[in-house]
Amino acid sequence: MIEALFNQTNYAATKKVLDAAMLRHEAIAANLANVETPGYKRVDIATSFSSELNQAIAAHEPSRINALRPSLELDSRAVAGTRDGNNISLETELLNLQQNTLTHTVGTQLLSGALLKLRLAITGRSS
Amino acid sequence: MLNCLNGITSTAAALNAERIRMDVIAENIANAHTTRSADGKPYQRQQVVFETVLQNQPGNITGTPVSSVQVARIEADKHPPILVHNPGHPDADAHGMVAMPNVNVHQEMADMLVASRAFEANLAVVRNARSMALQSLSIGKRS
Repeated sequence: MIEALFNQTNYAATKKVLDAAMLRHEAIAANLANVETPGYKRVDIATSFSSELNQAIAAHEPSRINALRPSLELDSRAVAGTRDGNNISLETELLNLQQNTLTHTVGTQLLSGALLKLRLAITGRSS
Repeated sequence: MLNCLNGITSTAAALNAERIRMDVIAENIANAHTTRSADGKPYQRQQVVFETVLQNQPGNITGTPVSSVQVARIEADKHPPILVHNPGHPDADAHGMVAMPNVNVHQEMADMLVASRAFEANLAVVRNARSMALQSLSIGKRS
């Protein structure tokens, strides 16, 4: 019975977004670590992940959301800016880093908000 | 060990590699005028070569693995020494030419800036990882 509380679409989707943010941070860390390595190719979250997540949210199927697994793939859209075959751009990567941290903040605040509302409903006290 | 800070292995390796690069640049600048090194020849400019290392992948994640970086080797620059006319120098040859190291101080300074920017970028990754970890720990706390 209590599972139903934690199995709503929004709750499951937020958890997946946090998972993806953590994995994406690892990808960005690897990209920035190799910013000077000749021939390194950029990795990022697979582009299919966000579309699959959106479809699952639209279909209101928490089980489908829970089954999603974010994975990393080589970024085919990145173009090499230098002659050594490395396609990392320091500026773009730092922007991605900040954007990803903000996404993670939004996710944690949404989860905290959901849990606080649940607590309010149980106890009747707002603090 | 509990892995709280995601990507910390890649970042630590990168900070280490950039540090080695800075050391090599410092060595080059320090020896920019060394006409006689241990083997009796003028000092040769050293340069680091970076390479990608694949990390052990956690079992629950599929797809392209994340990678880290390391210094593959430190190589001598193949450029010939720069000949300068200075007959009074103790290391001058019969024509009064002195073989100076193939170090260009301006190039070394530019390389040093690049290395220090890359270092800062990796520090930003650690800062963000830390703030994300702290936020994850505060999920569900009353604000």
